[in-house]
Parts: sequence; C-alpha cells; structure tokens
Amino acid sequence: MKLIRKRRNGYALLFAASICLAVWFGVASMLEAVFVFGAVSFISLLLLVRQSRLLYDATLIWDNRILVVSFALISMPDRQIKKDTEETVVSTFGILIGSEIYRWGLNGLHGVRLHTADFDQERMYLTFGDSAQTTRVELLHGITQKQTVLYAAQKLLRETGVKADITGW
Amino acid sequence: MNGHNLLNPRRISIAAFSFSFAYLLSFLFEGQVLYGLLEMYGINASAYILAAIIAHFVGLLTCGLFARSREAAKSMMLGGMGLCLVATIPFFFAPSYLWLGGLIISAYFSGCTVAAWGFFLRAFTPKNERFKSCADVLIYSNLLMIAVNVVAMNHSPFIGLSLAMLCLVIGIAFIWMLPVGQENELNKIFENKTHGSIKNPLLLLCLFVFIITINSGLMYQVINPAFEHLTGLVSWYWAVPYIVALAIMRNLPVKAKRSRILYIGMAMIIGAFISFMLLGRNTFDYLIVDTLMLGACGIFDLFWWSILGEMLDYSDNPAQTFGIGLSANVFGVLCGGVLGIAVTSIGLPSAEIAVIALTVVCVTLVMLPPLNNQLVLLLKNHVYLAAYENMSQAQQTDIVSQIKTLDPLTVREQEVLQLILSGKSNREIAGDLLISESTVKTHVRNIFSKYDVGSRAELISILLKYQRVE
Repeated sequence: MKLIRKRRNGYALLFAASICLAVWFGVASMLEAVFVFGAVSFISLLLLVRQSRLLYDATLIWDNRILVVSFALISMPDRQIKKDTEETVVSTFGILIGSEIYRWGLNGLHGVRLHTADFDQERMYLTFGDSAQTTRVELLHGITQKQTVLYAAQKLLRETGVKADITGW
Repeated sequence: MNGHNLLNPRRISIAAFSFSFAYLLSFLFEGQVLYGLLEMYGINASAYILAAIIAHFVGLLTCGLFARSREAAKSMMLGGMGLCLVATIPFFFAPSYLWLGGLIISAYFSGCTVAAWGFFLRAFTPKNERFKSCADVLIYSNLLMIAVNVVAMNHSPFIGLSLAMLCLVIGIAFIWMLPVGQENELNKIFENKTHGSIKNPLLLLCLFVFIITINSGLMYQVINPAFEHLTGLVSWYWAVPYIVALAIMRNLPVKAKRSRILYIGMAMIIGAFISFMLLGRNTFDYLIVDTLMLGACGIFDLFWWSILGEMLDYSDNPAQTFGIGLSANVFGVLCGGVLGIAVTSIGLPSAEIAVIALTVVCVTLVMLPPLNNQLVLLLKNHVYLAAYENMSQAQQTDIVSQIKTLDPLTVREQEVLQLILSGKSNREIAGDLLISESTVKTHVRNIFSKYDVGSRAELISILLKYQRVE
C-alpha cells in the first residue's frame, strides 16, 4: 500500500508541475511546449485518478483485514506468479499483495466474488472470480495454532459468507 | 361543533398564515394595491417590484438561520408581521425613500414569517393531511386577496392598503394565539431525526418549482399587461380559476391519481400560451387564457406545497426546509419576470413568447418522472421507518428474513441492513460497528445489489410492500 500511495503522490506532483509549466509556457506564448505539457498533465491526471482509485481499494482491504501472511502463489488459467512480500493481507474485500490488489465483493452480485476458502496445516487456498475468469491464490499462512485458524475461518464466514474448509488439523 | 374544535391549533395556524399571506399577495408580492399606489403617483413599478421580490427571496432563504425552534418561529412571525405593519404606514403618505425602505423591510420579514410557518404546519397538521392545510391557506389567502384587489382596483388603493393592513393585524392576532407547547404524536417520533435522504429530493423539488414558476413570471409580465384594459373583470376573476383548481384538488377522493392531474396541468399551460398566441385581447379570450393558466398554477402550487409540507418531517429545521422550497418559487417568479421584461422590451411577438413558455413546459415534463420517483420513495421510506421503529425485534427480523434476496446476506451485511432500517446514516453505522465509512458504503452497495435495488429508499419501499402483504 505504501508503494501505491507513493505512486499516487508522484502522479499528483507530476500533474501539478505539468499544469504549472503549461500555464507558464502559455503566458510565454510557446505553443509547442504548452501542447507537450498539456498532454503530460492530461496523462498524469488519468494516472492520478487510476492510482487514487487503487489506493481507495487498498485502504478498504487494509481496513478490513482478516489475516496477514508472508508468502503468496497466484494461479491464473494462463500463468503462475510467486510473491514473497512483507505485506500480504487477506480481507473482506480482497487480497493486498505488496502493491498488487485482487478485489472481490466490491461490486455486489455482478462483480468478482470469493468462491471458496481452504486451510491446511501450511497453506490457505482462495478461489475467486466472475463469470469470465477464476483465479486461485495459495498463501503460506504461517499459523501454528488451530484456534487461530478457526478464528480466521469464522471471521471469513462472517464477513464474506464463504465457509472455509479446514483439513489436516 | 364546540369552541375547542373551532379554534384548534391547526385552524389557528391556517388562519394566521392565510391572513398574513393575503397581505403579502395583495400588497408586497406583485399585489394590485402596490401597483395601484405606484400608478397613482406615476412611479415606475419595476424597481420596487424587483426590490420586494429579492428581499422576500432573501427572507425566505435566511429565516432558518434565526428560527430554530417553535418558540423562536413564533417570535419571528410576530416581530416580522409587526415590522411589516410599521413599514407599510409610509405608503399612506407621498412617495419618499421610506417607500422603498419600507417595501424591502416588509418583503424581507414577510418572507421570514412565511418560512417560519413551516414549524406550525409540521406541528399541528398530521402527516398526509398537509396537502389539505396547504390548499386551505392558499384558498383563503387568495379569496382575501381578491376582496382587497377589487377594492383597490375599483375604488381606491388606499382603502385596499387599509384592508391589507387589516389582514396583517388579524394575522398577528392569530399568530399570537398559536400554542408553542403541543405537537402531534407522530411528529415526536421524527423530531431531531433526519434520515439523510432529504437533500436530493429537496433539490430536485426546488429545481422543478423554479422551472415551472418561470411561466408564472412570464404570465405576470406578458399575459397580465395584455389584458390590463379589462380592469373590472381582472380585479376579481384573475385568481378564481386558481382557487377552483385548489378546491377540486383538495377534495378529490383519496384513491384519485393526483399525479395524472399534473399532466393535465401541463396541457393547460400549453393551452394557455397557445391561446394567448392565437386569440385576441377581449373578455372571452381573457377568460380562456386566465382559466387555463391560473388553473394550472393551482394544480402545480398545491402539488409542490404539499410535498414540501410532507418533507418537513425529515428536517431538523422546518423553517429552513419550507423557506428553501418557497424561495425556489420566488426565484422562478423573479427569473420569469426578468425574462418577461426582456421579451416585452424587445417587442417579441406572442408566438415566440409562447415558444419560450412551451420550452419551459417541456423541461418540466422531462423532470416529472424522476421527481415523482424520488418523492414517492422518500415518503414511503418515511412511513415505513416510523412503523419499523415501533416493531419488536422479532417482528423486524421476521420481515427482513421474508424478503427474498438474489444471494444470501452475510452476517456483516445483515448487521448493516438492520442499522439502515433503523434510519441511521452511513457515518452513524460506521460509528456503531467500529468500521470505516467507506466499508459501510461498500456493504450498502452489496446489499442493494442483492436486493436488486438502487437506493436506500427503494430498499425500504420493498420492505414496506412486504409489510403490507403481511
């Protein structure tokens, strides 16, 4: 999330600077420069909006965290990505892995939704998606006590309505 | 009928408002008494009329800042009407700067008085009866205005002014009698309780009122002067169709679909401007144009007055809500008047004036369905919340569980739903559940999706339907 915030601030700075420069060059009647910085400010505005939305979602996920883990393996139909990060959060509304976000439950019935959750002694497996695509995430949960797993599963059920399957404990 | 019933708080408040409003209609707000006096001294009326309308507008808009309780509203009404009385006295003497000053002061304080009445409309008229009280005050004040107009136009503006002041004095006497300690039981439930949903419907209503009233402004500046030569008839007939329309609307059976009458009103405005364009300027033509135009005004005025009256339940400050609604009307008259003056000064033909008026009607027509939708849902929401709050926990749970969702709610969503139904805002829900406001918003959006609704009001409306089926 820190990275998302940093990027957002960077785009905001770029936008402000490019607007100022565009105005400055406008006053100096340097039309080519105005055009260039106008385009830069437009692009940075788009990036700023996108990053702000991303930050909003990341904050939402962070605020509603259920479990914090240290390792993630993401499987999609066409590829597999390994992530080893200090900040992996499983939440009511998705997973935050570093600066990457996998959302669910943010757009009601028609958006991406969490389908299944499974716990074994080492890992946690989450499947989510919409009618077009399903994604599977494997997380190294690092939990050693059964009580903690039960608590996480209970919280997951309460917040997302998905009953976690616990095996091997 | 015994004395208690004859002078119950509702009737006193209606009488107080009717007499005070009659003064306003016959004198301050484009009244014939004011026109008569200005004409008598050969003064150009435009500056005076404009100043009065602007001051009245400001009075309506700012009353809520001062009148925050029923006691304060009563004091404001008494003080305001007293000042109006004093500020009207200079009009018995030769024109001086006191005329303009008096007019501005009276118009401002009469605006405050009208807005402050919102407290008494809410307090003394039960819910769903407010359209009757609104119709009553509009009918009585217009009848009184006709009487004052007839005298002012056919005899002397000074006698008219005396009668207008008499109305004011009687109004003050009734305001004095208004009790401040009683409130009907239902209103107590809603006191100091807002459901966070009044802002959009009120804004939409104000926009609707503003647009529809532009035609009234045009009427004042374009249609009325065209029939000025029919003084005798205009003095008494002008507001008669308005009163008849109000009386019909007021006494329609409960089952009658009043919303359809709004479309008849639209057709009447269209008919009025087309008639104005095609017909001449004789008595018969006036009867047709005025009947159509003022009849439509009666229909629309009662529509939005009564909606505004019902909205008062949602407001912490009825004077503010009532004042904002009425100021939209005055602003519409002002803009329509300026438009009317502009088209008259450039000598626009009546056909083009009719086109302007018809454009306004078309815009209003487009606005009607969303406005109707918002208001119906708001009022259903209101009725339901009252009933819901009075149910036991078991009954509440039962109703919620009966309604089929597209997908089961999670435990968290159920908690949020219960708090929505108890009338709490997103911020309050966040505070109660110790979660962020954006989390609540996301849960609310998901709940709407599962119930296949688009708003809180629609959700509550569905629950209301289930409650009725039960």
